[in-house]
Amino acid sequence: MDEIIKIAFDILSFSCIMVLIVSGLAIIASLMGIFNFAHGEFVLLGAYVTFLFQAMGLPVGLGMVCAPIVVGFFGFLLEGSIIRRFYKATIVAMLATYAIGLIIREIIRGALSGRFWKVTEPIPGLFEIGDMSFSIWRGVIIIITLVVMGACYYFLTKTLYGLKIRGAMENPSLARASGISTTRLYSFTFAFGAALAGLAGALMVPLYTLFADLGLRFLVMAFLSVMLGGVGTFEGPILGSALIGAMVPGFQWLREAPLIVDVLSPIFSEVLVFIVAIIIVKFRPQGLIRRGRI
Amino acid sequence: MSEQKNTRRYIPIIEIILLVGLISAPLFINEFITVILTRMLILGLLAISFELCWGYSGIMTFGQGLFFGMAGYAVALFANKAGFVQIWGVIPIGIIVGTITSFIVAWLLLLGKKPPEIIFVALGTLTFSYAAERLVSGWYWVGGGNGMSIFDFLSLGSYEIEAGLVFYYIAGLTLLLVYLASRFLVRSQFGLVLAGTRQNEKRLAFLGYRVRTFKALVFTFAGAIAGLGGALYAHHEGFIGPNNMGIGISTMAVLYALFGGAGSLLGPIIGVLAIESISFNLSDIEAIKSFWPVVLGIILLGVVTFKPDGILGFLVTQRERIGTFGRIKKRKNKRKNDLES
Repeated sequence: MDEIIKIAFDILSFSCIMVLIVSGLAIIASLMGIFNFAHGEFVLLGAYVTFLFQAMGLPVGLGMVCAPIVVGFFGFLLEGSIIRRFYKATIVAMLATYAIGLIIREIIRGALSGRFWKVTEPIPGLFEIGDMSFSIWRGVIIIITLVVMGACYYFLTKTLYGLKIRGAMENPSLARASGISTTRLYSFTFAFGAALAGLAGALMVPLYTLFADLGLRFLVMAFLSVMLGGVGTFEGPILGSALIGAMVPGFQWLREAPLIVDVLSPIFSEVLVFIVAIIIVKFRPQGLIRRGRI
Repeated sequence: MSEQKNTRRYIPIIEIILLVGLISAPLFINEFITVILTRMLILGLLAISFELCWGYSGIMTFGQGLFFGMAGYAVALFANKAGFVQIWGVIPIGIIVGTITSFIVAWLLLLGKKPPEIIFVALGTLTFSYAAERLVSGWYWVGGGNGMSIFDFLSLGSYEIEAGLVFYYIAGLTLLLVYLASRFLVRSQFGLVLAGTRQNEKRLAFLGYRVRTFKALVFTFAGAIAGLGGALYAHHEGFIGPNNMGIGISTMAVLYALFGGAGSLLGPIIGVLAIESISFNLSDIEAIKSFWPVVLGIILLGVVTFKPDGILGFLVTQRERIGTFGRIKKRKNKRKNDLES
């Protein structure tokens, strides 16, 4: 029982990271119709900024505060210079964002000199409930995600600017005709989505090692989460990422069974997660949740 | 007069120049450059396989590297574990492995209950490539992160085909045959359906075509070509590793095709020759070498942003690129003759 609660806690913190990534991806996709292939690299960039702060001897926590700002600003510049050209051709935009992702990934690969790096947790240690102990940092991730998502929800549903965004999402030309500057809205939203990715990257980097293909991995996982959960819903990706998050330790458990242990290496179990997810999507293409409320 | 200028056809001219150039090239270059050129020709197969998917059918795929690598690993395993290196076996193995793998991917991604979106296929193939790369780099039976070397030469009977002149012509002949087959395919009525799919999938579906089946077919065909390329590549380099399978090489396929000019079969080959030559010439300079992947990314971004029709776009008009399909041309000539008589 204790074991299950512990694993549920780990899955919850992993899902929170995925939620941050997916919501950044989703808000860009639904407002501008562009699927951002560089999103994984925004996550990587957030993680890298945090790593830089540590390498320079500054507090990691400060790096985590700065990461979303830096990545958001970077997203803002990117939107103004490149992404803006592709609102009419969303398929080409996919290639362009892929190229941007490639550039970021390879620059960071060069900067990390191809090695794996570790970033320490800003608040190390464990906290205890009853006789079970949990990692404080994972708790902090869950709390931050809840606060950020709550703020996003409030912002989108209750403020005037959120109303404008929803209006532009619904009907861009009508929004323009009503005097809403969709150009400004788009660059703001893109920067915001990038900042969410940067935050996710900064928060999760102490839990993983930092390497150049980290972003790619999270892009793939975010994609599978969305496909598993159901496209165009709010709950879907959360459920999907919980499933993906559950499958990784799930397959680790399988390894403890006799016979399977020889076949199933850690990497193979990770790959198996992808394959199982794709097969589920094949037989249930509408996702687990068909229609959301937002 | 101006009309005549517009209908001037450049592609056949470029084709002939390229063909003659590649056939006579070994006369002018040394053994070492021949080996480099052979590799380019083999990578040309990979580029064509991507081009068939993207330029002609509108399937964005980051999976060509997967089929390429799978076939490469398959022949490497045959060579190392079974000692089988006969060329009449290696080439079919490559094709079969490429076909089967790409068919599985096509079945999972393209033949679903609802028509797949371009983004879905792109990310799905990316997922497979990534997963495969992770898998082989952690699987020690196939060499893990170090990859596998093939020590025996590709052979025909007891004759050993070393990397060099003979291999060059084998690769060249293979590329030529694949090029002609692909050219025939995309210029046939089948190709017309593919072009229609690319432009407006819904309309084609309304006209009664099984769009998804057509896409799966061309995807599988492209997979077979990539597999063929992978098999030759593994034997030519004498090596196959995680870097030859997965995201990196898939990205290269995208880059070759887009840089050379998507939308024509010639573009990818020109792209391979151009990019690999630049890469080869720069590889001596240490400062650039480490940033070469970044430069490639910038080239890709630049092409996508400023010159979507690639190098070939400087010479070939949109009209010639789209070309004609099936026997339409003949009929037009016939009508002309009828009018004249």
